Amino acid sequence: MSLLGNGKRMVTVTINKNQYLAEEGEIFLLTANRLGIDIPHLCYEKALEPYGACRLCMVDVVTCGKTDMTPACTIRVQNGLEILTDTPQIIKHRNLLFELYLAEAPKSEVIKEMAAKYGVTKTRFLKKIVHDDPLQGKCILCGLCVRVCEEIMGASAISFINRGPYTVINTPFYEHNPDCEGCAACAKVCPTNAIVFEDIGTNRVMQSWSDTTVPLMICPECGKPFAPQRLMEKVLTKPESGLIEEIKDLCPECRRKYFTLREIRKIPTNGGQA
Amino acid sequence: MIITSHEDLESVRKRGLTKIQPKHPRIGVGTSSCGIAVGGMQIFDRMQELIQKEGYDITLVKTGCIGFCKEEPIVSVTIPGKSQVLLHKVRPDDAERIIALALKGEIPEDLALCRIPDWDHITGNLVYGDGFESVPDYGEIRFFSHQKKVILRDSGLINPEDIDEYIGIGGYSAAFKALNSMDPDTIIEEVKKSGLRGRGGAGFPAGLKWEITKKAPGTEKFIVCNADEGDPGAYMNRNEMESDPHMLLEGMLIGAYGMDVHEGLIYIRAEYPLAIERLTLALDQARAYGLLGKNILNSGFDFDIQIATGAGAFVCGESTALAASIEGKTGRPRLRPPRLTEKGVFGRPTDLNNVETWCNVPVIITKGATWYSDIGAKGNTGTKVFSLVGKVENIGMVEVPLGTSLRTIIYDIGSGGAGGKEVKAVQTGGPSGGCIPVRLFDTPVDFENLNMVGTMMGSGGLVVMDEDTNMVDIARYFINFASSESCGKCVPCREGLKHLLLILNRIVSGKGTRDDIEILKELSDTVQKTSLCGLGQTAPNPVLTTLQYFGEEYEKLIAPEGK
Amino acid sequence: MDEKILDEIIAHYPSQSGKTLGILREIQIREKHIPMDTLKLLSGKIDVPLSRLYALVTFYSFFSLKPVGEHLITVCMGTPCHVKGAEKILESLEEHLGISEDTQDGKYLQTTPDNKFTVEIARCFGACSMAPVLRVDGELHGYVTPEMIPKILEKYGWKR
Repeated sequence: MSLLGNGKRMVTVTINKNQYLAEEGEIFLLTANRLGIDIPHLCYEKALEPYGACRLCMVDVVTCGKTDMTPACTIRVQNGLEILTDTPQIIKHRNLLFELYLAEAPKSEVIKEMAAKYGVTKTRFLKKIVHDDPLQGKCILCGLCVRVCEEIMGASAISFINRGPYTVINTPFYEHNPDCEGCAACAKVCPTNAIVFEDIGTNRVMQSWSDTTVPLMICPECGKPFAPQRLMEKVLTKPESGLIEEIKDLCPECRRKYFTLREIRKIPTNGGQA
Repeated sequence: MIITSHEDLESVRKRGLTKIQPKHPRIGVGTSSCGIAVGGMQIFDRMQELIQKEGYDITLVKTGCIGFCKEEPIVSVTIPGKSQVLLHKVRPDDAERIIALALKGEIPEDLALCRIPDWDHITGNLVYGDGFESVPDYGEIRFFSHQKKVILRDSGLINPEDIDEYIGIGGYSAAFKALNSMDPDTIIEEVKKSGLRGRGGAGFPAGLKWEITKKAPGTEKFIVCNADEGDPGAYMNRNEMESDPHMLLEGMLIGAYGMDVHEGLIYIRAEYPLAIERLTLALDQARAYGLLGKNILNSGFDFDIQIATGAGAFVCGESTALAASIEGKTGRPRLRPPRLTEKGVFGRPTDLNNVETWCNVPVIITKGATWYSDIGAKGNTGTKVFSLVGKVENIGMVEVPLGTSLRTIIYDIGSGGAGGKEVKAVQTGGPSGGCIPVRLFDTPVDFENLNMVGTMMGSGGLVVMDEDTNMVDIARYFINFASSESCGKCVPCREGLKHLLLILNRIVSGKGTRDDIEILKELSDTVQKTSLCGLGQTAPNPVLTTLQYFGEEYEKLIAPEGK
Repeated sequence: MDEKILDEIIAHYPSQSGKTLGILREIQIREKHIPMDTLKLLSGKIDVPLSRLYALVTFYSFFSLKPVGEHLITVCMGTPCHVKGAEKILESLEEHLGISEDTQDGKYLQTTPDNKFTVEIARCFGACSMAPVLRVDGELHGYVTPEMIPKILEKYGWKR
């Protein structure tokens, strides 16, 4: 056990009978992946609370000789923690879960590759019929998009709809939703690249979300559309945005140009000293 | 009137008693949902019309359900000084005759089911008297004679819409005793000593849960009553609330005092309108007597209860889903720990107990832990109410000491298969439970023994299957139920149950193969082991138990061309 | 739903516990479904995002977004009714009313094209002793057989 500079303690954990030093309190899934011990996962995202829904990261926690299957994203590192990640039971269940995912998201290349990495290339289960699916037969309902939209962006534009096997994700009433800011954080966080959007003309169209359309800001300098208006308004009203008045409406490219030009102009006035 | 002293409570008690045993005939009509369903309300309305029109000197009240559903509508007639008589299968046309005879001090013998000379309400004892000897005694009726009524002590006998009647048979005296003369910790100690375990299905020691909640940091806490009874074929809690709502309120009041909690919630299914109505009325009446609110019974203790309605989601029986639902969210369970006792409703420490668990509390305080723990078996004390339904002769609510065998319940109380058919199995524990074959009917009904045969106690539904029941179809029924009630959060439950259902559909329609049976077993195992919450973890039980005990029925359905 | 009525319903819930579902329950009971406009109105009034309200309405089976017909038939699908043949009752209803089980959202709610009858299923209404049972507009019918269905329907104005 030792103290790190940042006040965090290093403790000993046992993974698959080998001992490692790990940071106390860290999420075990991250610890393992950092140590090069591979555990697959789909619904974990650092910026969000552990959700524990994809069930792929399940490992055995060993306490007093007994094992208990638990998602690795919900385990916190503590001294003496003992984990098994590759028992025949875990592999068996994980492979079956991959089969379920292959049937649920038959068009997802990410899932196919991930499953193949663990030796699962076929599913015995009836594949979902993908017909007019706004998420292209790739959604595995990990909920990351819904959670990012609600918890990080504060927009709550999309949600789970229905329940059980009928669950889908979309906007209320499958209609254009004015709550959407067009930030596309949902698409960025999606592990299976299921969410489709496109900037068409001066609008961003969230095709997966019932074609919700969000106007884009037009850069007064170059005249090109860039970020969604509502999102920019939200960012700019924050005092910490730190942008000076002259450039706040510019697109990132023109902003860069502005700074570069200023730097160039600055050089002679400073007498050539950096 | 606010009750602040023992004298106040006594005066209400006396008033209540005269309502139950007035100086003139009293007629009670069973008007729980089950009674109403078979015409109870029409009988009541007809009688009320007659009595009002003619100005008869008769007390007419609504009563709850005495439990013998098969014999509903049940009407009770009390002639002063004589045994109370229960009439069964009464029709609205009988109303006139019953009233006319009651006025003469008589009863229609052809409708008589049994007579009650005296009744032990546990919190009080009522003597009615002799008479009507030609009618069988309550204890001679097979359906009743093997039962022990602790929770159903008042059901069907008192008017659930009148707090005075509850107080009349000793109600709220346990609360008075607790709040005025007992140390809160002593109450928790007493409940711990009684051995009372959670009646919602898991059987966690109630007193221990109270203690954990009390010790949890924070001053703002909740106690919650889980009244979201969701198992198909189980309606004990509904009956308990419709028949005797104050026993639940009193239990919660005592618990709140023990745990030093000031806010209570009853989370109840929206599909139970009558129970909601009677609980709302009961809450108003309790507040009017100062039994809820500020400075209850002049003890300085404040507590009130609110109703929160569920909206039809079986998964909300899971504690974290239930808390989410109260907060106005979808009932998707979250990871545990933290448990509710630590982080519950709106993040506050929350004690959650089932309706029936709360209903035991006034009895434990009145009679003491030792009296209570003498009922039932070691480690499984007290009684449990079951709804005995399906293909059994005597359908109804049954209360027996824990540890009673399935055989006693199904054959002695239930009189075996309906219409003389042979009983094949019984399903306990609802969709989370399993099917037990006849050869295991000597299994004592308690938490551990039911687990050992692959099923569970659950909330108390006992569905009897006979020789005509197709057990594979039963497995399919439960998987269909669990799948449509899955919240959809985790993949084994959302997708796994769906595929179990598809496979079972295939087998039931005769298109299944031997491989299907193997996949069924393999998938059941994974769903059980990897699901996030109890719903998924237990959902495969009906498949696994039918495969284990009725494997030959699956075999018979396998298509011969299947390898 | 009239805005004033909605305000009255909201006023029944001074505390947060059980508020949202309680309001939705009252709307459902009053209107026999949750109208889209009411849900949108409610979202602004109680400051809950529409997406969350929509999630609730589609998650909980007590709520329905589709209006119901003139007569509402509820078939009990509790275990006791199931073992006594509830499925055949439902099939018979579907056959006679010309509706079919076709669900996109997992909720069974079928209305005849003439808007006369809506059929839904319920888990248990506690009339297990009379299983199988069904309810038409609050009136209970027990010991039902598939053969009895036309006669029951005729009582409510159904014609062959």
